Amino acid sequence: MAADFGRKLDARRWAGWALALAPLAFLAVAFFSPLWEVLRRGLLVEGQWSTDLLRAVLADQYVRHLLSFTLRQALLSTLLSLVLGFPLGWLLTRYSFPGKRSLKALTLVPFVLPPITVALGFVLFFGHAGHLNQALMWLLRLSEPPIRLLYSLWAIVLAHAFYNAPVVARFVNVAWEAQDPALTEAARVLGAGRLRSFITVTIPGLFPAVLSALALVFVLCTLSFAIPLALGGARYATVEVGVYLLARVYVDLPRTAALAAVVLGISLLLTYLYLRGGGLFHTLSSADRRQPTVPLACRRHPARLLWLGYLIPAGVVFAGPIAAVIADSFLRAAPGGASPTLHWYRLALSTDTSALLGASPLGSITTSVAVAAAAAGGALALGVAISASLRAVRSRVLETVLMAPLGVSSVVLGLALLLAFRRPPLSYLPPGPWPLVLAHVLIVYPFVVRSIRPLWQSLDPSLVEAARTLGATRREAFGSVELPLLKPGLLVAGALAFALSLGEMTAAAMLARPGLNTIPLAIYQFLSARRFGAASAMATVLMVVTAVAVLLWERLGRVGEAAEQ
Amino acid sequence: MRRLYCVAMVLMLAVGLSGTADELVVYTYDSFVAWGPAQEIKEKFEETHPGTELVWIAPGDSSEMLSRLLGELELGLPTADVFLGAADVEVPRALDHEAFLPLEPQLITNLKYVPDDIRLQDDAYVVPYDYGYVTLVYDAEALPDEHVPTTLEDLLHPELADKIVLQDPRTSSPGLSFLLWTIAHFEEGWTDFWRELLPNVLTVTRGWTESFEMFEAGEAPIVVSYSTDEAYSYIVHGDLRYRVLTPSGEGYRQVEYMGVVRTTDSPDLAHSLLDIVLSHQVQELIPTSQWMFPANQDADTPADFQEHAIVPENPVALDMDAVEEKLEEWISEWQRILVES
Repeated sequence: MAADFGRKLDARRWAGWALALAPLAFLAVAFFSPLWEVLRRGLLVEGQWSTDLLRAVLADQYVRHLLSFTLRQALLSTLLSLVLGFPLGWLLTRYSFPGKRSLKALTLVPFVLPPITVALGFVLFFGHAGHLNQALMWLLRLSEPPIRLLYSLWAIVLAHAFYNAPVVARFVNVAWEAQDPALTEAARVLGAGRLRSFITVTIPGLFPAVLSALALVFVLCTLSFAIPLALGGARYATVEVGVYLLARVYVDLPRTAALAAVVLGISLLLTYLYLRGGGLFHTLSSADRRQPTVPLACRRHPARLLWLGYLIPAGVVFAGPIAAVIADSFLRAAPGGASPTLHWYRLALSTDTSALLGASPLGSITTSVAVAAAAAGGALALGVAISASLRAVRSRVLETVLMAPLGVSSVVLGLALLLAFRRPPLSYLPPGPWPLVLAHVLIVYPFVVRSIRPLWQSLDPSLVEAARTLGATRREAFGSVELPLLKPGLLVAGALAFALSLGEMTAAAMLARPGLNTIPLAIYQFLSARRFGAASAMATVLMVVTAVAVLLWERLGRVGEAAEQ
Repeated sequence: MRRLYCVAMVLMLAVGLSGTADELVVYTYDSFVAWGPAQEIKEKFEETHPGTELVWIAPGDSSEMLSRLLGELELGLPTADVFLGAADVEVPRALDHEAFLPLEPQLITNLKYVPDDIRLQDDAYVVPYDYGYVTLVYDAEALPDEHVPTTLEDLLHPELADKIVLQDPRTSSPGLSFLLWTIAHFEEGWTDFWRELLPNVLTVTRGWTESFEMFEAGEAPIVVSYSTDEAYSYIVHGDLRYRVLTPSGEGYRQVEYMGVVRTTDSPDLAHSLLDIVLSHQVQELIPTSQWMFPANQDADTPADFQEHAIVPENPVALDMDAVEEKLEEWISEWQRILVES
């Protein structure tokens, strides 16, 4: 009996490894071999393994500046995200006010809002001739713009905080709501003041969540690309931007490869540390009782009006740039004011090749949508295969290998594919946006795996066993039992993959060529030529397409939840 | 699921199939398309060669586009047939990478109108199409008279903090010309000048277009640009709001060249394009669209342009051999100063 069971388990393991073959083969061709080529270029000097190039790059003052600037801005951005995000998390947990649900939903926006639209919004809103300065100059009758934020380090830091403060707020909110209110009540009963119980009970309870949020924000800001590229000028560049500039703008391939090896090391290390530290957050006990809330606007507690001191500036920082993008897409500058127009949308939907984009604007939109659809399809197929094999085989090595792209910076991945498409087997692919599709599949499929694995684990194995008892083959059982149950989760993962691919700009910037352009790149190109109307129309199109995908995602997710119950 | 795949496949096919007509791809810089006679050149070329489409590709400034061309050649990626817009100081870099086919000057009949002093190496690889002088330009309405600099040293005055916009010499040819100008002017002292200049610089842009648009939008009142901008101000805006500064009568001479990319399948069409660019019809458009001096000396220039386009009294240009030898060193030194500031 025991031997029989063992054999069965073995068979299952073998089936799992067999399932892993296709994804492994795919990753070998599209990921590991291209990455190996980058490392070879960075570490192989005249046929000999050598750290000469690497050392030369690390000794280079420009590279050192890139590294130190990257870490400095990531640290500052993380701190500012905490400062801006913690009060929001607090507000969402402790107070009740009209519009709270919508505000909470809005904290999800940064997960899908493409960074280039934020950068554009910042230029339009905070520029010396931008909306905020214009308004302040008019209000205060100044002759010089009072806010000199753009073109400095602080523009990048504030844009990162715009992006990541909601992440912090969400983590704080979730952790705080899970805290048992009995703890603070006990402290209060034992004589602790409000402040003391806050500092000695509430705050320590939130520590794991805050740390975990800060770690995530730090990783995201270190590997940030579009925001420093668009807001940094020549003076400020992160390592990701550095690799892009060296590869595609200054064109210095040996240095690019060596710097890419460094960036690869950094991204793997940070991802490893983050995943190791991610456990911190799960130690929370969930409370039986919800945290009590108090109304924000209350005549008996006028001190709560102090929240306006946070809400008004935060509202300006968060809503201003996005509003500026949408407004400018419908406005045309004219002497003595701006007039409403649809000109920019006609331009964004034009089929004439624009020299600035190296493609037509509409072509950039269709490429983006086609690539996102193909990448979502590919990522789903890959994600299902990988989840299936990881379900059958519990092997840390296999999991690490199959999930490795998660830890690789997008700019390095883009460089790897740029080089790989010159050699067989990838050079045999017919002409088309394949490099971009592959890059996006590799970037988004780990998210697909992470969103379907828990769902699959939670399926009752007896369902499949019942189908098998009734005579179904394993494949039939998968097709008729598991797949329908996983479908809502798959649709959600597909929509997320679609949205992520649409907004992805790092690998796209590495792989773009005449005729192959995407919406985020078009926004960047219009932005750097300071054609703000065209850039804003493109950005609005991108936000609308993304929002439709995300709404669909949320709706399908809700249907999925209802189906589960 | 299957439906999603079908949609994806159809879209991919649509994307893959588009753009297969006969094309002559020309790389140039963004402002040549936004300002210069690119559209007229395209029309004239397509009229002369029915069935072939001329495609301009210009997502960056000249040095950036040249780097892109050289990178694509090195990696064996598909690239342009013609490159238009290599500044004289950039030509050695392109020739080092063997970017261009040897020219057949007899196919470019309009070359006879181009004076010898702007032609290079017997027209072996590149021919000029226009030239100008990199100088400083300021907005007379935004900058009080007492702050207007009259020498390069005046740019260091603390009143000009955050008031100057210039271009990255790694990506932009006016940016590079300005750097070479300061090297020619200050010699060994150029590094000190830049250390003091950078605090007054609002931002260093990747290309000329972004900096000039910032200047026109009122983000900063001083920009590194061309000595013809007074003519632009006069002819387009009807006043002399944009004034050209030629500190100590200086300005850096910049000649712009074009060449046929070595990997092209259609060298004859490429030569024909070069000839069209040098034709009177196109060259006469150069002054008031591209705002440069035409290479074709026989082309007429409008009287307003002749009156307001400034030619510096003491044009500066470093010896080409010195530039070729030291450029890399200067750029990395400049880069070091930039990141330390």
